[in-house]
Amino acid sequence: MALCDPPGAASPPRPPLSAQELSQEVKAFLSGLDPVQGTPLSPPAHARCALRLLRCLPPARHAALQHLRGLFDEQVCQHLLQRESPAPGPAPKATPGAEVLQEARRALAELVAANPRAWAPGVAAWASELMGQLSSKYANRPGVPPAASLNELLQLWMACPATRALLDIYSQCLAAMVGSCPDACVDALLDTSVQHSPHFDWVVAHVGSSFPGTIISRVLSCGLKDFCAHGGAEAAGTAGDKRVPKIASVVGILGHLASRHAGSIKQELLRMFHESLGSPREHHKATVPFLLQLALMSPALLAAVSPELVDSLKPPVLNQLHQHFSSVPRDELEGVVGVVVHLLCHTSAGALRTLRFLLATAAPASVITAPGPALHEGVREACERLLQLLLLHLQKLVHSRSSASLAECPARPVPFLEALRPHVRELCQDTLRLERRRCLWQHQLLALLAVHSAPHGAAEALFYLLALARTPEELALAPQLHAGLRAVLPDPLPAAVAAAVAQIHAGRLPEPQLAQLLRNLSLLLQPRGDDGEPGDAALGAALARHLPDLAQLLLHPRAEVAEAACRLLAACPLPRALPPAHLLPAVRAAVRGFFAGLRRGDAAALAPGVRLLARLSAVSPAAAKAVLAQLVEGALGGHNAELFGGSADPPGPEAAPAPPPVSLLDTNQCFTAGLTTAGGVWSVFHAGVIGRGLKPHAGLGQRSPEELNRNTQTFLSLLLRCCRGSGPAEAAKAVAAALVEAVCPEAAGAELAWPPEELARATVERDLRILRRFRQHPLLFPLLRLVAGGHPALCYCSVLLRGLLAGLVAHWDACRDPSTGASPWHLRASCALVALLAEGSLLPPVLGNMHELFPELAPFEVHLLLLSVWGYLRENSPLPQKFTFQPELGVFRRDFGRDGDLSKHLAVLHAVLHRNIHRLGLLAARFYP
Amino acid sequence: MSDIRHSLLRRDALSAAKEVLYHLDIYFSSQLQNSPLPLVDKGPTDLLEEFLFQVPKERGAPPKRLTPLQELQLLEIMCNYFQEQTKDSVRQVIFSSLFSPQGNKADDSRMALLGKLVSMAVAVCRVPVLECAAFWLQRTPAVFCVRLARALVDDYCNLVPGSIQTLKQIFTASPRFCCQFITSVTALYDLSSDELIPPSDLLELIVSWIFEDPRLILITFLNTPIAANLPMGFLELTPLTGLIRWCVKAPLAYTRKKKASLSNGHPPSKIAKDSASGEDRDCHQLYSKLHLSVLQVLMMLQGHLTEKNLYGRLGLVPFDHVVPLVEDINRLSDELNPLNASKEIELALDRLAQALQVAMASGALLCTRDDLRTVCSRLPHNNLLQLVISGPVQQPTHGALPPGFYPHIHTPPLGYPALPAHPVQTFIPGVAFPYRPIR
Repeated sequence: MALCDPPGAASPPRPPLSAQELSQEVKAFLSGLDPVQGTPLSPPAHARCALRLLRCLPPARHAALQHLRGLFDEQVCQHLLQRESPAPGPAPKATPGAEVLQEARRALAELVAANPRAWAPGVAAWASELMGQLSSKYANRPGVPPAASLNELLQLWMACPATRALLDIYSQCLAAMVGSCPDACVDALLDTSVQHSPHFDWVVAHVGSSFPGTIISRVLSCGLKDFCAHGGAEAAGTAGDKRVPKIASVVGILGHLASRHAGSIKQELLRMFHESLGSPREHHKATVPFLLQLALMSPALLAAVSPELVDSLKPPVLNQLHQHFSSVPRDELEGVVGVVVHLLCHTSAGALRTLRFLLATAAPASVITAPGPALHEGVREACERLLQLLLLHLQKLVHSRSSASLAECPARPVPFLEALRPHVRELCQDTLRLERRRCLWQHQLLALLAVHSAPHGAAEALFYLLALARTPEELALAPQLHAGLRAVLPDPLPAAVAAAVAQIHAGRLPEPQLAQLLRNLSLLLQPRGDDGEPGDAALGAALARHLPDLAQLLLHPRAEVAEAACRLLAACPLPRALPPAHLLPAVRAAVRGFFAGLRRGDAAALAPGVRLLARLSAVSPAAAKAVLAQLVEGALGGHNAELFGGSADPPGPEAAPAPPPVSLLDTNQCFTAGLTTAGGVWSVFHAGVIGRGLKPHAGLGQRSPEELNRNTQTFLSLLLRCCRGSGPAEAAKAVAAALVEAVCPEAAGAELAWPPEELARATVERDLRILRRFRQHPLLFPLLRLVAGGHPALCYCSVLLRGLLAGLVAHWDACRDPSTGASPWHLRASCALVALLAEGSLLPPVLGNMHELFPELAPFEVHLLLLSVWGYLRENSPLPQKFTFQPELGVFRRDFGRDGDLSKHLAVLHAVLHRNIHRLGLLAARFYP
Repeated sequence: MSDIRHSLLRRDALSAAKEVLYHLDIYFSSQLQNSPLPLVDKGPTDLLEEFLFQVPKERGAPPKRLTPLQELQLLEIMCNYFQEQTKDSVRQVIFSSLFSPQGNKADDSRMALLGKLVSMAVAVCRVPVLECAAFWLQRTPAVFCVRLARALVDDYCNLVPGSIQTLKQIFTASPRFCCQFITSVTALYDLSSDELIPPSDLLELIVSWIFEDPRLILITFLNTPIAANLPMGFLELTPLTGLIRWCVKAPLAYTRKKKASLSNGHPPSKIAKDSASGEDRDCHQLYSKLHLSVLQVLMMLQGHLTEKNLYGRLGLVPFDHVVPLVEDINRLSDELNPLNASKEIELALDRLAQALQVAMASGALLCTRDDLRTVCSRLPHNNLLQLVISGPVQQPTHGALPPGFYPHIHTPPLGYPALPAHPVQTFIPGVAFPYRPIR
């Protein structure tokens, strides 16, 4: 008897039951009693009975399936109970119920596999309906996650053998039918979905991820149908409520699928959109609102679709769209526009593209349209309107937020603006194109973006506007934006400048742009207009804070940048209390920049450098001192000497120019460049060291005297300008100190008082070095003259003067030539020295005039005269104390009358004069006071 | 009746249905006792529709549905009832009142329930139900018969693999039902499209039945008192026409099906191809066998016709049905011509010629050779057919007719009346079953 089979006995393919047996089975199934013993059947036995009927008695299949519902229900219930029980025992043994369940699953699988066309639709409907019932029934059990959390729900039900089996059965049915016509299966699923909506979503989601193509389009068209059925009721609100679950479950399902099948969903949505255009059918009319509604409810879908959608909106499509909506009543249209604006605000993927599209459509760049169908004027207007509304809406969002942020409310991000944040640069670039109306909108948007993402975003926007502007008109945008922002935000300018500096440091700006930025900044700092209204003070202050950083740019290898930096710094107002740490690097850089400019020989380019140095020196006396010292040091040291006709010190090995990157290999490969030398390959040329290139030329005296002169003049005038900052005396003193430091550092702290002539022997070496330095640096004399002009200052150079004098004395002493003309430099130096001493009021006028005689004298006479100068100085040491300040003149003066008798120092002079009276008579009057 | 209705309204669907059956039984039993020809009035029919077929009486009332389980219970009850009802007449009346189509919206559920009941009866071998069904098939417009046939074929050929054996067994239980079943199945599967090619299981079943006893085909014909004028829209007396159609059209229809599946873009995989061609070969053999049986039955027919004194008066293979058959073959062979289906066309035409010849000779087909010539003129050339159409006139074996003449030449077949008279189905003598055929 079939009923008495042990439950586990695998049924071999048995012969079909006889009619007798079958009617017994039916009886047993219906009554639930064992036909032999008359005892009630156990549930598993009953279920097996149902399975047998399912296999053998076609008309009983619905009844059997219905009976099996109970089995699955019971199993689900048990599973949930087991889950809830606090102490899960050892792995639950396979209960008879569970075994029967698996048997049922297998039986159904076999049937479906044997004849999918006959079984799959029915079984699929049964399985999906049962799943729907079960998931609704147990939805409110404690421990069952809420319908909203799809993934947890999915986990729960997939862990339950009964529902898992049902899902498998359903999937098998669908898989069997998917090739031919899955409609019946899918419709069953969706019908159940409609009935048990939120609780059943897990099934649709799971099935959907297994059969994305089929399910996605089905779910969408089902949702659309529902939307059409309730279409237009949206505004009514009350009627709309009923629909929410349906579209919500569409959104939920698609949302679940979006993670893995975004591509298919996107395609399907786009397909729907394009299909709906130009179609007069009713449900196609509703497609666009439906899609909008979907997007409204699911940011994921919106993100998936919007970029490609925008790409596909070509003129023909837009025209169709326009036509599509032209028949829609006005208030409905308003609703759609509102939704679109809202969605735009929430678009994040492809926000920039969307924006550009809107701008381009609302205000076409050119009147000449692209080939192809022309855009309808209405489309343009609509886009313009959208754009304006969008800006309005964004403004509302942004400003309500900023006021809320005062109340410590969590900031509500605006996805559209968030997404644009990384594209500030592009946005600024677009804005700077100044394309008619677009520019206004872009500017407005930029302001909103800046406010939204303040403080960082505001600074960034300003920075880009500053960096990317090329013309004054473009540059005007930045102050406009700034003015707008200042009204709502703390001043973003310092941050913008800081951002700029950071960008510069990071080397993120290409050089031409960097130069442009610097030029732009300096332009903004320039006094505006004719009335000399000062430039942007706030900008100046902000820039001044980054003085050292900007100063570094003075040394930029690219001349353009260095020059722009120079202009900027020159225009930048410098604070009075500049810390030395900021000041000194700036000064150093400025000086080096100046010399570099001088070296290039571009007089016009020098002007900003000069101005900058002058300004720097005007900051404070200390600054002036620093500037002067640096200038002097720079002029005398290193390679700059040659600018003024001097010769550089013989370079030490460390000062040797870095070997240029010469590759011997490369050189050797240039066959034609090789010299054909007489001595053969092994000839040695004393031209340099292999690998280091040519030996540098020792003297580069190619500069013409005019050039040297001009350089000297430039330098001196700069020095003078810089001296203006402090008093002339102070400045001169600074120059003096710098000179001593530069020429003879070891004597820097030496005694000012003049030693006896004999002592000069102790310092012969130093004196010689000083002499040599003077020979090397023709600039020293003009410099000293400058020092001499600021009266007591020359005293501080006494060690130099002493050394020079001693050296000259020694020279003339040793000179055996008949005329001083034989040693021209020494003659010039002697003359210059005496003139200097006179100008610096270290020698009284009579003595100071004696240099006029020197060219006419013999060397020994010059020697004698110089010795007399020494004598005078020995007696009247060149000390600053000897000078008194004369307030009425504002200068220091030396009163020689207070010194001792002058006549004894004049004796030699007069004797020489007498001896050469035939030639020097003309001059005699100058030496008799 | 209305008091019964009120009491039924209070019950649940199943017990109400049971009650209706009970009341119906009482009602008809008493009626039959009073008069041999019970008048079925509207009362019981309405009750049936409301409580058995769940057609709501009041507009908008929610339909009370039987659950599948209850339905199965009901089926079992009905099976048992018919089994236990000893009076043939009561059984017939009740079956007829239950399942005769009424031309209203209850017909759908009526047909569904009938399909399940017969299917169930087949499975559990309830001969009385099958007998009733056989008569029902005789008296019901063909459209409904075809539905029943489809339900059974679905159940036993498509749904449950192997259950065709169950169906096979009823050959011994109720040959009459088998005969009617074959007739309805041939009406259903007319090979006019790929879907209407009989499933191979079904084909095999029918061939095995007929091969076992070719007389099965004639059971209905032999056991039914025949009025010469057959009503339109009902199943034919024998499945002969349908079977001839099968045999003749099969070679072409199978070729067309193969072509369609090829041109559908999925060339069948090798295994599928092999199995399909193997199956096709089996089918061809089955059709050959069937053809032979059909010819044998046709040969037999002459005697039976003579016996019943219907020779030359009753065209069991109506000429009206031959015309569309020939047209179909013509169309199909045109369709298939480019596909080198000459062998299949030849086979089809051979079979057609044989069937025509034998049918004409046995008096099953009543027509002149001229008629045939006109009909077959557009067919592709076939030697045998040519012979049949124009061949030497066969000496009739029928003594009643002068040699060289076919009976119909002198006595044209009785034309069908424009409005068929009330069909005379007198298997229970004197009892005419009331029904309203649907046009």
